[in-house]
Amino acid sequence: MRELVRMVVVLTVICAASGFVLSYVNEATQAPREYQLLKYVQEPSIKAVLPSYSNDPIKDRIELTMGKNEKGEPVKKTIFPAKENGKVVAIAYGSAANGYHGPIDVMVGIDPEGKLTGVSVMTHTETPGLGARVVEPAFSEQFAGLEMSGQLNVTAQGGKINAVSGATLSSKGVVNAVRSALEVFPQVKKEVF
Amino acid sequence: MSVAKEFTKGLWKEVPPFRLVLGLCPTLAVTTAAENGLGMGLATTFVLVCSNVLVSLLRKVIPGKVRIAAFIVVIASFVVIVELTMQAYFYPLYKVLGIFIPLIVVNCIILGRAEAFASKNTVIPSIADGLGMGIGFTLSLTFLGGIREIFGNGTLFGHAIAGASFQPFSILLKAPGAFVCLGLILGAMNWISARK
Repeated sequence: MRELVRMVVVLTVICAASGFVLSYVNEATQAPREYQLLKYVQEPSIKAVLPSYSNDPIKDRIELTMGKNEKGEPVKKTIFPAKENGKVVAIAYGSAANGYHGPIDVMVGIDPEGKLTGVSVMTHTETPGLGARVVEPAFSEQFAGLEMSGQLNVTAQGGKINAVSGATLSSKGVVNAVRSALEVFPQVKKEVF
Repeated sequence: MSVAKEFTKGLWKEVPPFRLVLGLCPTLAVTTAAENGLGMGLATTFVLVCSNVLVSLLRKVIPGKVRIAAFIVVIASFVVIVELTMQAYFYPLYKVLGIFIPLIVVNCIILGRAEAFASKNTVIPSIADGLGMGIGFTLSLTFLGGIREIFGNGTLFGHAIAGASFQPFSILLKAPGAFVCLGLILGAMNWISARK
């Protein structure tokens, strides 16, 4: 009996100590881990949508709280500013909309006037060979230079974006994601520039 | 046995992957380049030394019947520390090693040293033992990774060392290449030992 109690106590103490140490390490490495994740996962997209810059957009990132979602929780948005000589020349941030199969995440770059500097599709679950072709530059390069207007639509709706053939819904998904990014731009602009 | 002897036995006489033939899973899987082998080896060494110290300190407290469970908790904690640290400061290496970092928990070298050595010895020899075994493991992985990288890709630690006319043996970077290299090294070490 005494041996049983001792086993339980020793193992419990070891596990509890391990839990304490690990939660401390988890807390301590939180910020650098987030930075690394952004750096290696999102920076390629950020680089693709922004004009040339001389700062580190990941380090200078700005966390904005914009309104609330349906559940009443505040919505956070991370803005990556591109600076040249200390002046913000463009900003990049993520946006999402539903495609044919599921959400399409895009990164959009926008200059201070609200013109798109670039669009890059980050993650999606569209059909390989059809909808998945929205990641190709031939499609995403069409967005550069456009702003929030009727032109920012697929050609079938009177816009200037040629949809990927056979993948109208996927193409519309990207367009919708870009449009919703531009919709919040005035609000972001107030905070950033 | 002297501390120095505990340390040096891990470097040749009982070098883990080649002489004890332990820890082959990471040895075969991550040694596609010298750098990956080195990273894996250092991560394992850290866990090995830390767990040896703690197991040795707690050896009189831990009841015999639950010792394996206690050792695994200790080892797993250090592995998580390594994983989080690597994720925070060496992200590319973390991506390459992937699942093999969490799998250090079940690396039989570490549990083997805790069970066979640290649980029966004091702290100083346990550190020497862990350090020796860890460095032996690191050197083995770096050596194997180096060979596979040189002949499979024409580079070493990412620097091109072979001429432009070099035709890489890309099979060496795949699983069969790992087995072939490991077998040749094992054979060579047996041959050298037998001649002595």
